[in-house]
Amino acid sequence: MCGVCGCSDPTNQVTMTDMASGRTSLLRSGPAPEVPAGLSAAEAHAFAHAHGLPHDHDHGHDHGHDHHHDHDQAHPHPAAAPGLHGGTVALETAILAKNDAIAARNRGWFEGRGVLALNFVSSPGAGKTALLEATIRALAGQAEIAVIEGDQMTSNDAERIRAAGAAAIQINTGAGCHLEADMVAEAARALNPAPGTLLLIENVGNLVCPAMFDLGEAMKIAVISTPEGEDKPLKYPHMFRAVKIVIINKMDLAPHVGFDEAACRANIRAVNPGAEIICLSARTGQNLQAWLDRLLQLRAAI
Amino acid sequence: MHELGMARSIAAIVGEHARGRKVRGVRVAIGPRACIERQALAFCWDIVTEGTVLAGATLGFVEAEGETFTVKDYEIREDA
Repeated sequence: MCGVCGCSDPTNQVTMTDMASGRTSLLRSGPAPEVPAGLSAAEAHAFAHAHGLPHDHDHGHDHGHDHHHDHDQAHPHPAAAPGLHGGTVALETAILAKNDAIAARNRGWFEGRGVLALNFVSSPGAGKTALLEATIRALAGQAEIAVIEGDQMTSNDAERIRAAGAAAIQINTGAGCHLEADMVAEAARALNPAPGTLLLIENVGNLVCPAMFDLGEAMKIAVISTPEGEDKPLKYPHMFRAVKIVIINKMDLAPHVGFDEAACRANIRAVNPGAEIICLSARTGQNLQAWLDRLLQLRAAI
Repeated sequence: MHELGMARSIAAIVGEHARGRKVRGVRVAIGPRACIERQALAFCWDIVTEGTVLAGATLGFVEAEGETFTVKDYEIREDA
């Protein structure tokens, strides 16, 4: 659980590295100091600036358009709250609402641009990066590909992606164990993908937490590899339920590790009867074409 | 999973709404497919609320459907 790994801990720092420029920027800057009480509005604003805190800028509107201020958001109405003498206040607020709202915005941004965003999830070492490398090399000249790499530390994967020939942004989540929608929003803006681009998001290697966080992708795709055993889908059902496609990688190793493909397929179907399954080897290229065909078909459908 | 971050989110949602009023307890609705470990969430709740206006507020659970994971309601302390 994340009480152990410390994700979303405010002391955690998240950075983004643009592989083209080599520039690293802070997405989350660690501990956020609280604005001290008793400051004037101007002082509080200056404090927020100095400490990089989120805040609003009031500004005059002189560019002549109508403003519709919708009022459908749940927010505090002190007059209506049963405050002073106790009572129960109904909230019904989704705890992941912030992430989900940003994810919805990302999804609209991708759709508006005609970009196909795919969120790749797996345990560490299943071969997500190898699959992306093979995909980039095979589709050179056929498809524009941009990659967002999520890892706790290092830009090793983004360097591999760049060497394979695609634009890449590395996000380092620090202690965090998954990507969140705001990180993807920043990275996507920096990548500025052209219409028709395949935006491949490689999540942090983790079959648990990324299942909960919508990034705005068209679909999640799970990668499992033959040495991991056939029962991964049964052990991590939340994740396998959340994906549309399961890629079984390292099929070249199947005979050496005693991998039972039929059992693995049955286990995937047991938790997600509708999942598509593609068996391949990113390293040898075995059956890679089936995946490439499916990918181009998905792109054609956007 | 994520219980520490989730506990912080719950505290932020309630803290923002309660605006300094003392809170006796918070109820969270959790569905069977929300991927939330209640014991871990309760453990993290005590840690994240310690020393804040929510210190001492209890965290209760309400059964819900599917992937529901929401702050259902909170109770204001009468002496506040």
